[in-house]
Parts: sequence; C-alpha cells; structure tokens
Amino acid sequence: MSDNTAKAREIAKKLLQEGTVAMVLGWEKGDEPYVSAPTVIRDAADVDRLVLDEYCIHDRAALLPDYRDRSEKIAIFAKGCDSRGIVRLIQDRVMPRERLYIIGINCPGMKDPNEYFRAASGMSKAKPAEKAAKCLSCQYPNPVIYDEIVGETQQPRDDKRFAEVDKIESMSADERYEFFIKEFSKCIRCYACRNACVACNCRTCIFDETKPQWVGRSTDPVNNMLYQIVRSMHVAGRCVECGECERACPVGIPLMLFNRKLIKDVDQLFGPYQAGLSLEDDALPPLSRYRVDDPDEFM
Amino acid sequence: MKVLPSDKIREALNILAGEAKVYAPMVQGDASGYFQWSDNPVGELLLDTLNTYMSPKNIVMPQTEDMYKFVAQGKDAQVTEVVYAGGPRIIFGIRSCDLQALHDLDLVFLTKGYEDEFYKARRQDLAVIARACYQPGPACFCESMGVDRLNPQADVVMHDLGQQDFAWEPKTPKGEEITAKLQGILVEKDVTLPQAAEMKTKVDITGLSEKLAGMFEDPAWDELASRCMNCGVCTYVCPSCYCFDIQVTTRGDAGGRFRCWDSCMYKEYTQMAGGHNPREFKKERFRQRFLHKLQYFNERYNANLCIGCGRCVIMCPNSVNILEVITKLKEVRLDA
Repeated sequence: MSDNTAKAREIAKKLLQEGTVAMVLGWEKGDEPYVSAPTVIRDAADVDRLVLDEYCIHDRAALLPDYRDRSEKIAIFAKGCDSRGIVRLIQDRVMPRERLYIIGINCPGMKDPNEYFRAASGMSKAKPAEKAAKCLSCQYPNPVIYDEIVGETQQPRDDKRFAEVDKIESMSADERYEFFIKEFSKCIRCYACRNACVACNCRTCIFDETKPQWVGRSTDPVNNMLYQIVRSMHVAGRCVECGECERACPVGIPLMLFNRKLIKDVDQLFGPYQAGLSLEDDALPPLSRYRVDDPDEFM
Repeated sequence: MKVLPSDKIREALNILAGEAKVYAPMVQGDASGYFQWSDNPVGELLLDTLNTYMSPKNIVMPQTEDMYKFVAQGKDAQVTEVVYAGGPRIIFGIRSCDLQALHDLDLVFLTKGYEDEFYKARRQDLAVIARACYQPGPACFCESMGVDRLNPQADVVMHDLGQQDFAWEPKTPKGEEITAKLQGILVEKDVTLPQAAEMKTKVDITGLSEKLAGMFEDPAWDELASRCMNCGVCTYVCPSCYCFDIQVTTRGDAGGRFRCWDSCMYKEYTQMAGGHNPREFKKERFRQRFLHKLQYFNERYNANLCIGCGRCVIMCPNSVNILEVITKLKEVRLDA
C-alpha cells in the first residue's frame, strides 16, 4: 500500500469517526489492477476500501451535484482539476463551501483506466499512455482550494494547451468545415461528455428539454453539430480543463480542442482567464459577471 | 476443411458485396464498429482485435431509422411512403457473444405475438458469418451468460488459424450458398483447430433473477448507483440494449417519422407529459438498467439479456462494472 493510500484512509477514518462528515467521496480498486473507481464511504469501518493511486483519474467533483438538495457535510478527494471543479460548483451555488471538507491531492498526472482496459481486453491495439492525454498540459496539478493536502507539490506541465487550436485556426474555412463534420459524424449522442462535465450542472439540461425540443434526437451531422457546438459554447469561460469530456467519449471526438478554442476566444475577448481558480468575486467567469467597464459595447 | 486465407479476405468481401450489403468489423479513427463494406469503405478492416467498440446491432437496428413519410394539410394527412429497408445482408466476423445478442433482439422484435416490420425487413434476409472465439479477454464472460463461444448458431462459422487465416465451416443451406459464391477463394487444406484458452472471468447468475424479484426497494441500489453518472455509453455500446424512441420531423406540410436509440439512463426516457417522472433520480434509472438485464428479460423470455461481451465494463467512463454489481447483489442478505 502506498503512502498516499495510507494517508487517505487515515484522514477519512478520522473524519468519519469524529462525525465531521457524513461521507467521503474517493476511489476504490476495481476488479482489474488498472481500475480505480469512484466510491462513497459512509462508515469508518469501510475506509480500507479507499485507494489513492495513479488510476484515480475521474473528476470526483462531477458527481457532487447528486448531493445538492441535501445538507450533510461531505469530504471529497480532489486533484488540481477536481478542485477547480469544486470552485466552479461553489460559484454556481450548487454546493456551499461549508458543506465540503476538501482533501487535496497534489497530482503527478494519472493513467486512464479505460485506456488500459481497452488495451488489455483486446479491444484496442493502442498502447496505453504512462500519463493520460488530459494530464499532459495540466497547469494546476496542485489543488487551488483544500482543507488538508496529500502528496508532494508538483510542477505544472508544459503549456501546449492551444497547439491544436492553432492548427485548426490555420485551416481554410472549407477544411475546417470538413474537419468538424468528420468529427461530429462520429457522435453517438450518449451525452457522456455532458455528464462527465463539472461545468454541466444545470438541473434540466437544454438537450433533455421536450417542450420545445431544441435539438433533434436523430444522429446526423446537423443535429450532432448543434449538440456539440451548444455544449461547448455553454461551458465557455466555465470549463476547468479537467479533460473528462474527451476521456469519457467512447468514439474519440477531440472535445478538448473545441473547449480550448473557446477558452482562447474568452481570453482574447475578455482578457486572460482560467476558470475555477479562486472563490473571490472577481474570479467569476467573464460571462457570469457584471462589470460597468465590460468591453462589450452594449453594456 | 475449407480455409479463407488472410490475403483473400478483401476479395471475398468484394464478391459478397456484389450481391448483398456486407457489414464487417472496421476501425474509424479511434473507434471501431460494424460498417458496410464497399470499394471505398469508411474504415480499415479490423480482424486482429477482440470486440469492436460499437456492437453490430446497428445492422438490424440503426441508431436513426426512417419509418414513414407523410404530407399533412389541415386535418388531412396522408402517409406517402413507408420505409422498409429489406434486401440481402451479410454480417462478416460477428463474435459469438454479439450473435447471442442478435438472438435476444429477435425475441423482442419477432416473438410473443409482436412482429416489428421494420426490424423484420432488415433481419429476414440476413446471413451470418460468425467467428468462434478461442482467445477471450479479461472482460469477456459470455460463458457465464450461457453463450457457446466455439459453436455460434450461424450460417458459416470461421475459426482463427492464426495470421488471420480462417477455417471456414458452412452450417446451414444459406451458409452453403455463400460458400459456393466463394469457390475460387476458399482453399481446401488439412487444418488443426486451435486450442481454446480458458475464459477466466466468471460469474454465477443461478437464481439471481428470482432473487432480484424481491430487491426492488433494497437499499443496496443507492450505493451501487452512486458511481454512475447517467450517461448512455453502456446502453449504446451494448449489443442487446434495444430501447428506442419514435420522433417526428416536419418541414412545411411534409414530414417523416423516424425512430432512434434511446437509453433508460436518460431522464427524458421516462418523462411524462404531465411533468411527472417515475424515474426522477439516478438510482431509479440505474436500477432499471440492471433489473431489465438480469430479471425482467429472464422472466419474459427465459433468456439472458446480458451476453457477457464486456463492452460496458470496458467503456464505462466511471468504471461501473456489471460483474461487480452482480456480485454485490448476490451478497445482499434478504432475511436480515
């Protein structure tokens, strides 16, 4: 058992025993060595199920909205990206800060259990990566908000966040259209990208609306594109770059590319901004904030 | 025994594609599935992996499928065209688990006094060239779900001989017809069929369906569902999940009805016109999926709707694992 796992269990045990929290959101091992899976521990006697290893890739904050209409206090393990998601949920009034006990994880980058499973099961010939794609450009490996911290402080990775965006921008309009159509044609509308997203926390999602039905349910390039463009526009300025949408996608659509294009646009239109870094008022997403000196002329 | 040599597979597919729509496992970018073979196929032929990401159910049940067209003016409406997508089709290389799932779909759409004409149109002239499974992966548990992986009920069964050569064994008159068309391709050879590796992943579902009949309100569902994020990956990669929705599009006076895959994981799935939703929260939706797979289908058809292909286990972004769910459901003590 690693030091981090031992520490995680010790912290969880204390919190549950002392009644500080009613539950702990963390990870436990699955049937395969390369699977760590999200889990909820409610009893101090069960803390030995907890693990903190290199496969704890899921954004633990993404399932916090499940507990929004309740009052119990929740301990949550949070990597850098997860912590930014938590900040977003607090800012969006999904979860008050007082209800959370945040156990930060200084994160060296994770491996993707699904990638390992696809390779081991003979479903994919691709060799699984030592570090998941979503971790390669991580700028905030250390949590931005926490009550307690586990692991050694990590250095941010090289900032190559916009390299792929630049490539798309340099295409001609026709090439770009071809590219989008090709990627969106693959979409099977499983909504994993939406459900894995911490920024997607609306009680009723526009894509589930029936009166009116904003987006057709048929899978065709037009409706798929409408879904994907609305989804990424909706999280513009609120995406914390946890990369879960792209990781969750079963057909390999480069969703972070679209998100990063919008992050870049927000940077250019409203000044450099990264979501979920701080709870201060002026750290709200540009599109969620009122400013008298708003650069947009209609204000 | 007849053998389909690896360097003749494309030629064989071309010949068959001259007379039928042929579907073969292919990879497109990162994802794989069963797509129509042609001179210029949408992906690369994929015969050296186990299951494809997407199952072959799209062949008999496309994700979006036109049903009929109409013209409506005021109170007058006329159906102008009913779309039956009949005609000969061949699935090439389907694995035993997926074929078992196809038999499950047949139970749903063709038996108990209900015949779905759209499904039947695609299904009735479908020939199956299946692939016996000698080397299962760690997420494969089809044997536990009653699949005979070495003897799939197909028109032709192919056996891997290594290097992508396949022993070719026609099983039905339809299979003999296909074999006759490939006269110049198949070669006669003495071959030894490979040794089947053991399927290591096992789960015992004896009595589970009966036990689940008394577990609808069991508190175990809360914890089991906690990991699920209610996306539709499991239901859409599943070869036997068959739920669909019927929708309409209109433009001016003309319109069309189509059906499309739907998922019990979605809130909208049970949204009622008056605003009530009997499966409001994720626990109810999660429970529905597993009870349908492990209880309701067994009760209605005396067959397993889960066929153990492992796709949902491998693909779930949050690592929900049906084997683990079954194990935990079995551990629950109902007398306590």
